[in-house]
Amino acid sequence: MSASPALKDEIKLPGMDLKKIGKDLYEVFIGPQHPGSGHMRIIIRVDGDVIVEADPDLGYVHRTMEKLAEGREFIKVIPLMERMAILDACNITLPYVEAVEKLMDIEPPPRAKYLRVLLCEINRIASHLYGMGIFGVFLGHSTMYMWPFGDREVFVELAEKLTGARLTHTYAVPGGVRRDIPQGFREMAEKAARYMEKKLEDYKRIFLDNPAIQKRLVDVGVISKNLAAKLGIVGPNLRASGIRYDVRIIEPYEAYDEIDFEVPIYEEGDAYARAWIRVMEIKQSLNIIRQVLEKMPQGDPLHEKFWAKAPKLYKTVYETTGRAKLIPLYANLKVPAGRAIARAEAGRGEVIYVVESENKTKPYRVRVVSPSFRNAIVFKYIVPGHRIADLPAIYGSIDYFPPEADR
Amino acid sequence: MTGIIDFIIKLIIWPPLFQLVLLPGLVTALVVVIFIIWFERKTAARVQMRIGPYHISPRLGGFLQLIADLTRYAFQEIIVPRTVDRAVFIGAPLTALVLSVVPVVAMPMTDIPRYFPIPMDYSLIISMGLTTLSPIFIVAAAWASNNKFALIGGMREAFVITAYELIFIISGLSAGLAVLSYNIVDIVEAQAPFYKWILFTNPIAALAMYASILMSTSGFPFEIPEAENEIVAGAFTEYSGLMYGVNMGSAYIKRFVYTLLFSLLFLGGWAPYTPQPGFIAGYLIPAVIVVVKATIVMATISFLRAVYGRLRIDQALDGAWRIFIPIALAGLLLALLEAYMGVYA
Amino acid sequence: MAFIDRIKEIMSSSGIEAEVSEGKGFIKVKVPLEQWEEAAKALASNGFDHVKTVTIVDYKARGVFEVAYHVSSFLDTGLAKYIIELSTEIPRDNPVVKSLVGIWPSAEFLERESFEFFGVVFEGHPDLRPILLLDEVVAKHPLRKDFVVKEEGIFR
Repeated sequence: MSASPALKDEIKLPGMDLKKIGKDLYEVFIGPQHPGSGHMRIIIRVDGDVIVEADPDLGYVHRTMEKLAEGREFIKVIPLMERMAILDACNITLPYVEAVEKLMDIEPPPRAKYLRVLLCEINRIASHLYGMGIFGVFLGHSTMYMWPFGDREVFVELAEKLTGARLTHTYAVPGGVRRDIPQGFREMAEKAARYMEKKLEDYKRIFLDNPAIQKRLVDVGVISKNLAAKLGIVGPNLRASGIRYDVRIIEPYEAYDEIDFEVPIYEEGDAYARAWIRVMEIKQSLNIIRQVLEKMPQGDPLHEKFWAKAPKLYKTVYETTGRAKLIPLYANLKVPAGRAIARAEAGRGEVIYVVESENKTKPYRVRVVSPSFRNAIVFKYIVPGHRIADLPAIYGSIDYFPPEADR
Repeated sequence: MTGIIDFIIKLIIWPPLFQLVLLPGLVTALVVVIFIIWFERKTAARVQMRIGPYHISPRLGGFLQLIADLTRYAFQEIIVPRTVDRAVFIGAPLTALVLSVVPVVAMPMTDIPRYFPIPMDYSLIISMGLTTLSPIFIVAAAWASNNKFALIGGMREAFVITAYELIFIISGLSAGLAVLSYNIVDIVEAQAPFYKWILFTNPIAALAMYASILMSTSGFPFEIPEAENEIVAGAFTEYSGLMYGVNMGSAYIKRFVYTLLFSLLFLGGWAPYTPQPGFIAGYLIPAVIVVVKATIVMATISFLRAVYGRLRIDQALDGAWRIFIPIALAGLLLALLEAYMGVYA
Repeated sequence: MAFIDRIKEIMSSSGIEAEVSEGKGFIKVKVPLEQWEEAAKALASNGFDHVKTVTIVDYKARGVFEVAYHVSSFLDTGLAKYIIELSTEIPRDNPVVKSLVGIWPSAEFLERESFEFFGVVFEGHPDLRPILLLDEVVAKHPLRKDFVVKEEGIFR
């Protein structure tokens, strides 16, 4: 739009356009360098203090992972895809591994399935804690920022003990997992679970039961059941709107059908329900971790088809130290042609991969849709009608993670 | 020679200058502010299971970190954007800083009139009136910044000012009403025995005043005009370096001045102590007592940062108009009752 | 009745010539371009309430793009465990397909993403702008097979 004559006479800055945006509206750019937004921008138009229009502008941390995946061997796609949610690395890459397994028509051994579930739940807790910390700081509650961020370390260390890496673990590989459970892990996990259960009570006392926080969250950013389904949002946000949808129950993958757990559901659909649901899910994840450690069967952590091709030295190392190295076979893994789809419930919701192969060592097409990208639509349709101060509350409650959304 | 030294000493202990600049004025305020910022960091860290500032001077608990930060502020570049209204942009924060310390001039720190800057019978009203001067300059600074976040912050500030001033004044006046005097010296002297502190005889008014102090100085949960995650730094978004420090400093000094008034009105001022003749016994000691009480009140405000989140502007205004003004009025009623029954007669 | 037969029935009762087949982890419903919208409507009216992905695959050798919507249901738990791949093929030199945002609002951002990466125009999309990329990158259609990633070439 062309600038009006009155505006032209005013100070002009080089490279700055002037545009008109409707009477009595005020356009505010929340992000990308805004302390309350992370690496994304929401362009909001406000009438007084009330937002009338919101336009999420994503892509500030986009890395074209889908294109990069087409130029890499199948195994190298895993560490690439992990980069979108490093705290949630196992969850976010598991469907890719499953899709490749479907194409190769192999199924991991039972022990590997349990080990995958174990790391997935550790990741889920860490991811939820991260989300809760960010949520806290968005509401100006610095204690709720520091506590979960500190406690997250417990689960990062637990994952390190299990996989050898604090974050991007590349633990699940086609046909199994990379390492078996180390000695002393069970005690560590039990300690962590007990610690976390105690801390969840503290979170409840200082944050969820805090009157100032309740005032900010109750009835804010309400997503009704039907609207949630229409917008296609996923994960805890969907379940906070009363929809019982969790890939772990709908289409149990790995060992989830052998484990007894509940999926918390809240009917309210507001930011407060979304805050609660994360706490309840952490409780369930702790429960799953305990069950996994109890029920885990014996056996190899890798499919025998791969294990048979391992050099002898690898086997000796595995038998003596319990550490398995990545078998050289993976470097040039040829995957039969075809298309496979797999999904999993990551910390922030359902992640889905479409993997297409043409019997080569590199995938023909890898399509990934991450939970945060599917949740981003909330900003466009839920935020209008709220006040500016509600934007951080909604943003935090959605647990939107820009690197994951931008891929 | 001795004439000059005498003159200087006289000038320094000349009450208007001394009170405004040294104790409990700017210099004391600065020391207290540094202590409070340190305290705020340390208590928040303790609550949040961290250590807090530590690297510089670990033996002092990182106290010198504040000096380092101050130095950093002092030497940072002050950026004045081209699109701002220069005169107001620079003038408003400085004016606000000066005006925020001015109410001290009407607050007696002792009952000996020789050490008053301006002995007067209506010091409560004058000092409360003077506190209402500075907020407008924050709004002016926001307006001059020509920045969207600053403008929103300035508007929020304006809304909050209109909400808290009434509470502040009603609850302050109820302290005077109970004693039937608007002279702060009379109010303090009436509270001489411990159990007669107005905090105990009229806790409702004290609560209202405390809440209004939280609101006026952006204490949690009313830290709304500078809500970092919503509007960057509110009115101070465009400020950098020392100018930002001045803004922050004036907010803290404002808080200090309010808490001084709070400790005079509700916490018995220099209460357990009776000023004796002489500069030290008659002025310095009672003033320090009042400052210590004010610092303790400030510390409680700082502690709330670790406990509360931030309310929304409409919720804060709602609370102010619908909850705290009735509370303040109830405090006034109670004060009236006490005055009628002659509690402080 | 197997689930795949039910899909076949849904399609045939709406008069759509669909190839329904079982894939790995999904049920493929391939429809001709002309019946694209009707097929989507038929699925939507049978309880498939959201889109999981909008996937485009560039078959350069054949000169077509395959446009695939993976749909499923949140509200109907019986359907939730199936993923239906509603797909069609469009020519590479005229990549235009009807937008399904009117039927499934959840496709809005996914279609915008596919638009910017492949240059596929979704006719009838209310707000077809790039979402992740800058305009100058969008012009190159980065996910098409003829966009070759340039490597820095220190080691080759």
